[in-house]
Amino acid sequence: MAQTLVTEPFPISRIANRYLIFDVNIISHIRREHNICGVLIGTIPNLSQQNVFLGIPMQLMPEETRLLVEHGHAYIVEDADAHKTGFMEMSREDRLAFLRQMDKQGVEMALDAKRRAADKQEKVLKEKGLERKIQEKNLRRTDITPNPATGETSVGPSDEKSLSDSMPPSPTVGSARGQKVAPYFITPTTSHPPLPTPPLSPAAELPKVPHTYPLFRHLQSKGYFSTPGLRFGCHYTAYPGDPLRFHSHFLATGLDWDEEFELLDIVGGGRLGTGVKKAYLIGGEDPEAKASGKEDGSDPVRAFSIEWAGL
Amino acid sequence: MDIETARREHLKPAVSPSPLQSLLQDSTLPSTTHPGVLTLAFQIQHNLQYQHSWTGLRLHTHSPLTNAPFPRPLLSGLPPHRLYVHPDEQIELLKEAERKRKASKKEGGGNDVLKIEPEPEREWILPTRLSEKWTLGRLSEIFDGIGLVPPDAETARQEEDGQVNPWRTTKRIVLAAADSDSTVVYYIVHDGVVKPRQN
Repeated sequence: MAQTLVTEPFPISRIANRYLIFDVNIISHIRREHNICGVLIGTIPNLSQQNVFLGIPMQLMPEETRLLVEHGHAYIVEDADAHKTGFMEMSREDRLAFLRQMDKQGVEMALDAKRRAADKQEKVLKEKGLERKIQEKNLRRTDITPNPATGETSVGPSDEKSLSDSMPPSPTVGSARGQKVAPYFITPTTSHPPLPTPPLSPAAELPKVPHTYPLFRHLQSKGYFSTPGLRFGCHYTAYPGDPLRFHSHFLATGLDWDEEFELLDIVGGGRLGTGVKKAYLIGGEDPEAKASGKEDGSDPVRAFSIEWAGL
Repeated sequence: MDIETARREHLKPAVSPSPLQSLLQDSTLPSTTHPGVLTLAFQIQHNLQYQHSWTGLRLHTHSPLTNAPFPRPLLSGLPPHRLYVHPDEQIELLKEAERKRKASKKEGGGNDVLKIEPEPEREWILPTRLSEKWTLGRLSEIFDGIGLVPPDAETARQEEDGQVNPWRTTKRIVLAAADSDSTVVYYIVHDGVVKPRQN
């Protein structure tokens, strides 16, 4: 796979308190470089019940977003505001350029469809043993193509003409075969383009994270991949490498330093973890170590791994 | 008074003193230790000794590192078999066993079985009741007081233990949780992020 360069910091869209990424290059970049998997949540719009293989956008946990922002890899963009200001304040030139771009795409698509139809026809004729017909057709075609003077054979000029205004393109664009082809009307499905990448706003506050964030950060700093842990009744499932390559090692539950927990939870978690070849992990941030560790930069998080003793 | 003591010396004790009585007379135990947690420790000790065949069980009321009193008494003991093998150590042991097996096959021995029997190691045991509530803070207090390997009762063995298992790099403790119906469950708690065994 060709590695596409992602420039950091990259934007993370905040929509209705969800942190979303719409760029597939960024998605693969953070997975490769920052051990962050996120959860793909996109379905096919008209087949939304098809939820086995989901696509972009990718939703990030607030913890993942916070980590990326804290380390300066990403920044948050209020997507609703960015759209409002972006489209309201778009200049006429930009708008026209975009419309022209859309028209060009429409023509290309129409031509492409026509070409494909012709190919299909050719194939079917060949299968039926009617090659002579194809040759006749080709002869006719070669008669037409060396005739650029008619102006109808080339696409470029008439295309440009139709786009000199912001009106929808007139359906008089000629095809390479001298036949008229109506350009397709494209409904734009992305907003980048036409919108430029939103600028970095340093004033944006960090995402609010649950109290289990220190444990998440601790596991990430040790190179673990963390995914949401609801399936195992914990906060995170931690993988020693990419979840596609490794089994998870830990069922992690984050706690406050003085938060009381039942021993029955330890027994239950430990037993469940051992049953699925994992360890149950509890951990949290020591406020004292945090205060004293600010200078030497040591990690104030303490974690304990629990396994069934087998007695 | 004199007659009384003289009489006592002549008489054989009808019954040996009850465990409770001897416990109360045991001056080595600190008076600060709550009798409840002490009883719990004895209960776990009994369970390990007679139901799981542990040996060399010892009660620790003070930290061997700092000599400060533990928040509650801990136990240490030797299990009949190795209780915990780190997955990396297990791989090493399997390789070693495979090498030995190949060697014995070359010599004509029909021993085809992979035999891995690591030496048992002394473990720390933390006695708890299931009804208790714990916090990370209290748990790390316990861990801060213990060393990697519990000290042995006989100092002679200490030197033998000088070559400690190089794979034992993180502190671990066996958490013993006793329920009110006297069921005891045991869980190994590691200090830090330690990858799980692949049972």
